[in-house]
Amino acid sequence: MKKKFLSIVLAASMIVSLAGCSGSDAGTSSTTDQTPQTQASGSNDAAPAETTPTAEADTPAPADSNAEPVTLKWAIWDKESTSYWQALVDAYQKVAPNVTIEMVDLGSTDYMTVLATELSGEGSDFDVVTIKDVPGYATLVQKNAIMSLDDYIAADGIDLSKYAGTTDQITVNGSLYELPFRNDFWVVFYNKDLFDEKGVAYPTNDMTFDQYDALAREMTDTTFGSQIYGAHYHTWRSAVQLFSVLDGKHSILDGEYEFMKPYYEMVLNQEKDGVCRKYTDLKAEGLHYSAAFSGGDVAMMNMGSWFIATMLTNLESGEYDSGLCGNWGIVKYPHADGVEAGSTLGTITGLSVTSVSDTPDEAWKFVKWVSGEEGAAVMAETGNFPAIMTDEAMNIITGLNGFPSDDTSKEALTVSNLYLEVPYAENVSEINSALDSYHGSIMSGEMSIDEGITAMNEAVKAIINP
Amino acid sequence: MFEGGILMAKGLSRQAKRDMVAYSFIAPNFIGFAVFTLVPIVFAFALAFLNWDGSNPITFAGLDNFKQLGNDIFFKAALKNTVIYCIGTVPLTMIASLGLAIVLNQKVIGRGVFRTLSFFPYVASLVAVTSVWKMLFHPSKGPINNILHTVFHVPVEQLPQWFSGSLVLLSMILFSVWRFMGYYMVIYLAGLQGISAELYEAASLDGANTWQKFRYITWPQLHSTTFFVVVMLTINCFKVYDVAIMLAGGGSGELTTSSTVLVYYIYQKAFIDWKLGYSSAVAMVLFLMVFVVTMIQFRGQKKYQS
Repeated sequence: MKKKFLSIVLAASMIVSLAGCSGSDAGTSSTTDQTPQTQASGSNDAAPAETTPTAEADTPAPADSNAEPVTLKWAIWDKESTSYWQALVDAYQKVAPNVTIEMVDLGSTDYMTVLATELSGEGSDFDVVTIKDVPGYATLVQKNAIMSLDDYIAADGIDLSKYAGTTDQITVNGSLYELPFRNDFWVVFYNKDLFDEKGVAYPTNDMTFDQYDALAREMTDTTFGSQIYGAHYHTWRSAVQLFSVLDGKHSILDGEYEFMKPYYEMVLNQEKDGVCRKYTDLKAEGLHYSAAFSGGDVAMMNMGSWFIATMLTNLESGEYDSGLCGNWGIVKYPHADGVEAGSTLGTITGLSVTSVSDTPDEAWKFVKWVSGEEGAAVMAETGNFPAIMTDEAMNIITGLNGFPSDDTSKEALTVSNLYLEVPYAENVSEINSALDSYHGSIMSGEMSIDEGITAMNEAVKAIINP
Repeated sequence: MFEGGILMAKGLSRQAKRDMVAYSFIAPNFIGFAVFTLVPIVFAFALAFLNWDGSNPITFAGLDNFKQLGNDIFFKAALKNTVIYCIGTVPLTMIASLGLAIVLNQKVIGRGVFRTLSFFPYVASLVAVTSVWKMLFHPSKGPINNILHTVFHVPVEQLPQWFSGSLVLLSMILFSVWRFMGYYMVIYLAGLQGISAELYEAASLDGANTWQKFRYITWPQLHSTTFFVVVMLTINCFKVYDVAIMLAGGGSGELTTSSTVLVYYIYQKAFIDWKLGYSSAVAMVLFLMVFVVTMIQFRGQKKYQS
């Protein structure tokens, strides 16, 4: 009897090592960071979740010149390789000398997951957090980890129309919890040298998908040893599937995805004919889109505007061979028949004030400044697209050393309609995962386009109405 | 000798005092285990019947989380893939490592080198090794598919896609067998060396052939080693996560329904979607599966011994 008990205990303890990896999810959140907060305002453990501004922190605010010193803790990623974090902090320090900004780098790979873990439970002392994507934003809103900015926006009279309609797509039950400061949108990058060699006219800012497809095919050369790919699609879902939401009639939150079919057909047919690299090859190689385009055998590639900054820096430093990709340009995204040119996908990066911040007013001032016109100028100087696209910011970017000098490339930066890659919805995180998964199934040939779309419909319907 | 200690603990019997000493030695490790492993596990059991996102108040879910599992396409796919992976990997690894151990237990020239070579995959970094596998099995440029194409004249369109669709599980199984057989070979080698040479001598005198020696001496003598190997293998296989991510992870690291596994799904539900209750329910299914399989193995072991 005793032996039997022993064997059960033994078996259980073996399994313990297994269950440990899943079971720890609950425990970690509460044990993360218990260090006491060293804010200037003093004791803060009385009501950490309260968002009402405390009286003692608020009263000296009008006399800004002699304001009390404040430290704001700010969550960011990739501090070393991203130029604007430090630039923003330095510029803000001049405007508000009493504020010290302490940046905490959480890394970019799983930034939103790490951030959500940091902000779960009590003990977090972040004041301002950067929001990298909308599914992560939805998570933080539902966790009550970030506070509604409505009162601040109303009090300071922020004009949301400057944000090109993006704030409407992240509004949660009428409230806004982040303010974007960076806004990237998708364009088509092309290699002018390849077009010149073939004697084909450059792509234009007004192409339908049919024209784009024909152009990609015209540029393609499948001769072994001197292959030219007319187009290149990165493995992300956005790079293929989201061509379909640019007509303004459809959204990835619909739950019915038949409208994606023509675009999957276009790309998979291109793959079959050697117009673009195969998805399964890209996956096996882990080929980065920047390596694909800078290799000099890709004529056109759709990618976000963040790649402009990458091109500028790497061509200047000599990391990219300017003989292969130095002569480049950009044009607007292709559009469906009967849809205005210049409709494209957008990705915003925003700032939020945490609900545990004990200096929310100071945190808001920082958020407002970064997302405003002064922050926009700083962003533009580092080659990044601010959320408020002022003429000044536009001129700074197009005037950067190495930016394509033709007018078409400059004009390509004007956007008529911006659709977020992922707009806000309650279950957007799960919808996103499901669509990602079936995108992989369709592109790798595990499922036919119809099977994949049917599976998407079923999966997303189950998420929307469980 | 321990005059002072005895005085201090006057009220305790000799046995109790001995126990106290023993407990004090166990305590440092056990307290760590209790705080960081035991409590979270018990909490995970409870969570399976609750709804929680890590921040908002916990609500009671009863059996809802388990009922939902039945309609969850991704859970069913993960469960199926994990089971297939285990059924494939456990026996194959066991056979391969036993075979290797028997061969490398003989007096062959350079057996030290071969032993090291077969242990090497286990020591090498998983990321590095999977990268090499991905090059070898690259769908259009890899040497394996090139040989299939040039030597066996498989048309380009029909070349196997080793990292997607129906073949991805096979790739994962082959990879795991290759990676783990060296480790279990070492365990089998230890077992083989524990078998007394007299038994083989006696068998030779009785005219037993090699197969009979294996069947009636080696295999029964290795019984407890095999039991250990199979239990450890089963548990490790159910835990599969890294191999799937590295070999089959897509553009953003996500796994499709043909390659997703339970541990990945637990992670996804817990830390991407923040459904800790639902995720714990999946973890419970995994726990139960491993528990039942291990119990059956313990039963079998006992029956065999008696």
